[in-house]
Amino acid sequence: MVNPGYKHFKGEDWVDPTPPPSDLPHVEEVGATGAPLKSASFVIGSMCKEYNEDFMLCKDEDRNPQHCLREGRKVTRCAIDVLEKIQANCRDEFRAHWQCLDDKNQMFGRCRVPEKTYNECLFKSLGWKKDIPFAPTNKPQIHERTPLA
Amino acid sequence: MSNGTTQASQDMPPSGGFKPFRYERRLPKRGPSGVGMFAICGSIMAYGWYRVYLGLDERRELEREKIWSRIYLTPMLIAEADRDEYRRRCAAVDREREIMKDIPGWIPGEGVYHGKRYAPDTIANVPLHQQPGFKKE
Repeated sequence: MVNPGYKHFKGEDWVDPTPPPSDLPHVEEVGATGAPLKSASFVIGSMCKEYNEDFMLCKDEDRNPQHCLREGRKVTRCAIDVLEKIQANCRDEFRAHWQCLDDKNQMFGRCRVPEKTYNECLFKSLGWKKDIPFAPTNKPQIHERTPLA
Repeated sequence: MSNGTTQASQDMPPSGGFKPFRYERRLPKRGPSGVGMFAICGSIMAYGWYRVYLGLDERRELEREKIWSRIYLTPMLIAEADRDEYRRRCAAVDREREIMKDIPGWIPGEGVYHGKRYAPDTIANVPLHQQPGFKKE
């Protein structure tokens, strides 16, 4: 990583290679990039709702990173679990959707065609349905509408 | 010159009176009436505003979708960043303990503020041998 104008600062100079303290339980990091995460965000949001809300309430108590490590591990494990479930059940649809998001500047509105098959596959295999909170209830949600020309 | 010998004569209207005089403009009627044109323009504008409303509605819902996808990812990203920050903080405190071990009464990792509230480091605390400009002797 080289920021423009900072070529004399090598990115690796800022990396601290020290491993985390050994008394902490090991947890894998999610490791997914932006587009797959964005594609899976609504699934993560609804399937990990309890863990996420618990974590954010904990963060509200104290912003110290040490305070919420336990809740944070649960959040990360749940996100990894959801991503693995998606990969196991809807691998191709998921891939088509996040690659579309990658191509289309991560705009959901331009990836409705792959999203439709992706959501159908998730509904069939996991029984999950996308729901946007606080959307108007008297009309279909934005991902179920026909986009304006 | 009037000397009484000639009889003054006065112009009189023709017998039966003058024909009615046409003083109004009489243009042929062409095209729709004013009210009709007003209604046509109004309906075109109403349709246009309806399309504007649809576009605004779609844009608002797209924005809502984007914001909620980000909100749903926030806890996961914060958890990951917190673990990294905690790891770096522990390493920095260990380094500080090693450097200041000869100073009696020094508390490694003590904050510069009096309060209990957490304040993140304002500069990245990285190992000295990795810091830019560091020269080995």
